[in-house]
Amino acid sequence: MEELKQHYLYPAALFADKEPHVVNTILGSCVAVCLYDPKTKRGGINHYMLPLWNGQGLASPKYGNIAIERLIERMIALGSSKADLQAKVFGGGEVIETNIANFQIGDRNIKIALELLGEHKIPIVAKSLGGKLGRKIEFLTHTGEVRQKYIQKQLIQSK
Amino acid sequence: MSEHLTDDELIQELKRRFEQNKKSLKELKELNNELKVVNKKLEESEALKTHFISNITNEIINPFTSIIGLSKAILSVDKENWKKVISMVALIHSEAFNLDFQLRNIFVAAKIEAGDIYPEILRVDVQNLLESVIESFKFELRKKKMNIQFNLNGDSGNNQLATFKTDPEKLKLIIANLLSNAINFSFEGGVIEIDARIKDSVLSIKVRDHGIGISKENQKIIFDRFKRVDSGINSLNRGHGLGLSINKAIIDMLNGYIDIESELGKGACFTINIPESEEPIEGFATDANEMFFDSDSEVF
Repeated sequence: MEELKQHYLYPAALFADKEPHVVNTILGSCVAVCLYDPKTKRGGINHYMLPLWNGQGLASPKYGNIAIERLIERMIALGSSKADLQAKVFGGGEVIETNIANFQIGDRNIKIALELLGEHKIPIVAKSLGGKLGRKIEFLTHTGEVRQKYIQKQLIQSK
Repeated sequence: MSEHLTDDELIQELKRRFEQNKKSLKELKELNNELKVVNKKLEESEALKTHFISNITNEIINPFTSIIGLSKAILSVDKENWKKVISMVALIHSEAFNLDFQLRNIFVAAKIEAGDIYPEILRVDVQNLLESVIESFKFELRKKKMNIQFNLNGDSGNNQLATFKTDPEKLKLIIANLLSNAINFSFEGGVIEIDARIKDSVLSIKVRDHGIGISKENQKIIFDRFKRVDSGINSLNRGHGLGLSINKAIIDMLNGYIDIESELGKGACFTINIPESEEPIEGFATDANEMFFDSDSEVF
């Protein structure tokens, strides 16, 4: 069997390519949106850290609203039409326990994904969101399949 | 005057103004379109830049990591006829190590420039981190027959040094920059003292060398970009003058500060002070990176 190309997706980055890839990333309160087009058999993924770009500084895909728009644009540039796209959404855990409403970055990251995907009428066909654990996910860009593992707490605290 | 205008004149005037408005509206639209094109180009160049940085980071740093690892492995082979090979490999290792280190600095500088840098906070074992940085300079130290004295003064009771919340990659780079400078500006056989302590949730690390030192005037400019003090001992120097300016930028980002005490000819002592981060912990240390997907993984 042919080995697939690997890509490690860093926070605040996004990835979409013509060639099939296995994309890995690790999520805490960050959210990753995977878009897949069953017609072109191509997929793309982002990994954003904060929900909204405040309009100051660089409009970086660190922010959900930027990262989602950019990913859709990238998929269209790769030959998809928006109506064919399907989404899978992961992450947004509250990894650190906090009661301060402002700090609930995970929740706010999730909300922006659901909101924006709804606005673009892109169906969410699978999701694993929230909770208290981090996630490691692996996205196969040519099948749209996503594998997920939870990261147990002791792993975090051991470092 | 307007009272004297006839209805006809009034209509003419209104028509004229209407035409004018239409014309300016058209011009505005054209300008807007031009702006759209420029905007698109800017967006493209920004995407290109982001792409370039993430690409180059992977494609250059990864090979270097393996070069360093491999040559290090060969270095530990202990046979007599390997002596020549070993000396060559030592050189490769040292060069690759330096390139790797300089490149990391350049990438961080580029990110600082682009405003695209943010702390990635983890729980950090400071002693471990310092030891690994010192270990990575082992061959550089051996080359100049230098020694390191390493002092830890944590509150051993609550073991704060083992679980300090900060950005480990940035802290490593800061220490590596200080250590690299200390080695470069020291004389052969010199000693470098490193002292780390935590007091009131502030991590303070001192790196002291007994090298050529820095004059009072030069102390004012060493944190500026690309400036390197002309010290006269050329063979001792290398680097691009980015290290300290990068350190300052990163330390600012981590809400800390950096101090220098030095006198020409009497060595230099840099102290960094970094408060423990209160930011949420984002991401995970290497353990999670080493996790594999198996039959237990959920599939979506």
